[in-house]
Amino acid sequence: MSLSDEQFLRYSRHLLMADIGEQGQQTLLQSHVLIVGLGGLGCPVALYLAAAGIGRLSLCDADTVDITNLQRQILYKTEDCDQLKVDCAKTALQQLNPAIDVVAHASEISAEILELGADIVVDCTDNLAARQLLNCHCYQRATPLVSASAIGWEGQLVSFDFKANRRLCYNCIIDENAGDPTMNCANAGVVGPVLGAMGSLQAATVIRMLLGQFDQHGEMQRYDAKTGRWLYLTASPKPLCAICATE
Amino acid sequence: MVKLLFFGRLSDYANGVPTQIQASTAAEIRQQLVTEHPLLATELSEPQVLVAVNKQIVDWQQALQDGDEVAFLPPVTGG
Ligand SMILES: [Zn+2]
Repeated sequence: MSLSDEQFLRYSRHLLMADIGEQGQQTLLQSHVLIVGLGGLGCPVALYLAAAGIGRLSLCDADTVDITNLQRQILYKTEDCDQLKVDCAKTALQQLNPAIDVVAHASEISAEILELGADIVVDCTDNLAARQLLNCHCYQRATPLVSASAIGWEGQLVSFDFKANRRLCYNCIIDENAGDPTMNCANAGVVGPVLGAMGSLQAATVIRMLLGQFDQHGEMQRYDAKTGRWLYLTASPKPLCAICATE
Repeated sequence: MVKLLFFGRLSDYANGVPTQIQASTAAEIRQQLVTEHPLLATELSEPQVLVAVNKQIVDWQQALQDGDEVAFLPPVTGG
């Protein structure tokens, strides 16, 4: 299948790039990405991936838009308050790119949704339990996972290519038994562009993975927007990890 | 001696903390801070604080070597 005239124009800035080109764009158009959480991270992720022409985007979030979201969740407008986030997001994303498939799941993440066969899962959730669930499922199904988080002025990104690497996972780095920290975005606040920076990095990582150009399994990036500093950290597999030490 | 780095909001609590310290583990560093820097020690006792030695995430009990850089990173789980 070759690109249409409209697609040639729409994706021309990808087509100009030697390491994307028509073949790379075809790959993006044939891909399916699941975005879990349509908050401050999920909004920029969904916008960039829809614009890039990811053929199918599955969106999962049970929440409705609240006025306190509008400071950072850039898919939503004031008039969207009290509507389901996934419905508002779907409308906005289809306006941006009508040719892609956007599937809205207005529910908490479930095994059922995770079994729909996405090529990559993007973790844009806001709590540790959901992150651990995604890690466990992605590991079991050998699905790559791109995970980010933010609070205050700080952001974190860590991605796992479970297809190529069967050791080192989210649970090796963040112990599932240690419990949630007391600070979260609802009680400690968060700066909108920090979410934008981390969400953009997630979207770039997804595109890179789909094009087969990812080699940072389990490497963590930390951003402190207050000082403008980045830190790059490596991690090792935990000897007795309950998720990835069992094979 | 090991070098200390407090990343992100932890640096808000680290005023006056020496940049180098004598300690054999990260857990011992936290213990040494309790008396003179109780707020920082409390933050370091939060679940999910990460310790990195020379940019490698490690256990709080990992043995430290002279000249190591020990970084403490506060938990970031929101989204
Ligand atoms: Zn693991």
